[in-house]
Amino acid sequence: MNDLSRRNFIASTGIGLAGLAAGGALLSPRQAQAVSLPLKALTKDQALTLGALGEALVPGALEAGIIQYIDKQLGEPNTLLMLKYLGVDTSAMPGFYRSALGSAHRLSQRLFKKSPEALTANEALAWAENIAAGTDKEWQGPPAGFFFFVVRADACDVVFGSSAGSEALNIPYMAHIAPTTSW
Amino acid sequence: MTPLTSNQQYDCVVVGSGASGSIIASKLAEAGQSVLILEAGPSRDLKDLISSQLWARQLKWSGSAVEEEGNHKIGHGFNAGFGAGGSALHHYGVWPRLHSNDFDILSKHGKNLDWPISYETLRPYYDEVQADVGISGDAKAEIWRPKGEPYPMPPLPVFAQGQVISKGFSAMGLTTAPIPLAINSVPYKGNPSCVYDGWCDAGCPIGALKNPLVTHLKQAILAGAEIRYDAQVTRVLTDKNRQDVASGVEYIDREGHTQRVKAGRVVLAAFTVQTVRILLNSVRANGVALGNQFDNLGRYLTTHAGRTVFGLFSEQTDPHLGPTGGQLICHDHYDDKTAIKDSFGSYQWLIANAVKPNGLLGYANSRPDIFGPKLQPFMAQAAKHLGNMLYVGEDRSVRENRVMLSDKTDKFGIPVARTVHNAGPEQEAQMAFAMAEGEAIFRAGGATEVWTGPRAPIHIMGGAVMGSKEQTSVTDDLGLVHGTDNLYVVGPSLFPTSGAVNPTFTVSALAYRTAEHLIKTG
Repeated sequence: MNDLSRRNFIASTGIGLAGLAAGGALLSPRQAQAVSLPLKALTKDQALTLGALGEALVPGALEAGIIQYIDKQLGEPNTLLMLKYLGVDTSAMPGFYRSALGSAHRLSQRLFKKSPEALTANEALAWAENIAAGTDKEWQGPPAGFFFFVVRADACDVVFGSSAGSEALNIPYMAHIAPTTSW
Repeated sequence: MTPLTSNQQYDCVVVGSGASGSIIASKLAEAGQSVLILEAGPSRDLKDLISSQLWARQLKWSGSAVEEEGNHKIGHGFNAGFGAGGSALHHYGVWPRLHSNDFDILSKHGKNLDWPISYETLRPYYDEVQADVGISGDAKAEIWRPKGEPYPMPPLPVFAQGQVISKGFSAMGLTTAPIPLAINSVPYKGNPSCVYDGWCDAGCPIGALKNPLVTHLKQAILAGAEIRYDAQVTRVLTDKNRQDVASGVEYIDREGHTQRVKAGRVVLAAFTVQTVRILLNSVRANGVALGNQFDNLGRYLTTHAGRTVFGLFSEQTDPHLGPTGGQLICHDHYDDKTAIKDSFGSYQWLIANAVKPNGLLGYANSRPDIFGPKLQPFMAQAAKHLGNMLYVGEDRSVRENRVMLSDKTDKFGIPVARTVHNAGPEQEAQMAFAMAEGEAIFRAGGATEVWTGPRAPIHIMGGAVMGSKEQTSVTDDLGLVHGTDNLYVVGPSLFPTSGAVNPTFTVSALAYRTAEHLIKTG
């Protein structure tokens, strides 16, 4: 993608300056595309943070659609989110993600003076390790370590929980009734 | 708004369409009784059973919130079903029997509770259920199995994962046998045999793994039972002049309207927590909920402790193949509940469970410490070389573990359930022993790396326990709620103690017994 088309692409997403990382880095095309779709439950900042964390934990999660998956399922009465199994009521799920993503975003700013989507791969891993450790005293929302587990599981769902994910692991999916969509 | 009351009088209204409710409905309808089933969740069809760890979650509880507290929360969101077939729609079909020593623990050991019946009382119903539904297994190989008819089908095959892990059991001097499974190893009563694809958790659309859609719910509908979906029962109604007589139930329909139906008998089969919630919300004129005259309602809530041992083996295991519930079973630690120091109770191993990459039980989530670029190599290795087995430990039955009503209400203004469940030191000691044993078994079997998952709650039982005395139970041995003439409970709510086996076979046997009584006295 050349500079012009990149500019056009970002403009088309409607993100504008607000979508640029605080550190000045541009969104990757995949990040920009992910948040260009209408978001129902998450803000763009929250979506970008989710995408950055998911990708750091499970490479491929961003392309596999973790942002769209979480955003869509947060609006479903009978959600597919694994959080359903972990004692969080459906009505509390949007707040669970929003508050923790806000904390994760602020943590990134404090650690690296960057928004999560602008972190280098090594910075993103260090950021994720910090969340997993649950030692951030300014963290608000669900416990950081629990949030880490949930997002990692979500990312695994979108990366490995489909026939494509099985193929990537060289194992047969063997569906009785194949899902028409991944989620 | 004034509740809408139908003038139609049913012989019996059954609340819940899971394993036990479907049995009651089918048996009574086949006996010529008019039966109405009220199911809180949606209608489901076999074509809804999509092979996906994500879509499978739609089968789980999506009704009113359940609050959970304690050091071993019950995991209602994972364990409870929602809609036609209830939790039996997504269960794994692991159907061992309780052992004789599960029925008289209070008498023998001075703790927990006794059942009001013995194994011998239940034995013919186990035999009848297994002939009707079909179980695959090898009764002789189960050297610990209580007396009963041999299984009607041969065992399912043991795949590479089971063969590899069984070497570890043999090296440790422990016994394994094929798991008795409500899964067809050969075609049985119109349903085909299993294809071993490991999608049990998502429900089996071919009916090889038995669920109510292909067994008793299907039979109930064929026999003329009526079923209404999206019908959340809020309370049991009693006769104006005789509050010991249930006259029907009140429920909220899918449009949010309050409805009332009249019935000669009411059978609550709404799974453990919701059955208790309905009873607690059914308060008589004296301010006491039905079945709670001795403050036993909701108490003795139990859940099995489940914990998985994982390992990587040099041999190829193909862990995606076979039944989710596992291939082999070990009950060597079942018959002496006092064998382990500082512990009490039985436990079983369910060995070589089919496992998918993702999901709560998937191998990706077994190692949350691995992420980033290290994850893919781990996943690639696990996909071919993982072994796993599940420890299932007996719970304690104590009054403090219970279901109550919360101060919070659901969208209809009905108080939601609040649960408190704590494991005690004896359960902790047993699990620690079992984890050490499990790791040793895997090492003996050649595992190059071994780790264990967290303790998880599997199955939910108790809360409306049966007993021989009104002072210490909620129902009699047939599920008749004390102090009532015609209100029954079926399902795992009745279990005074948890045992250490998966409950659905016992749930079914108890329901057969209650159905027989209801027909005889109908």
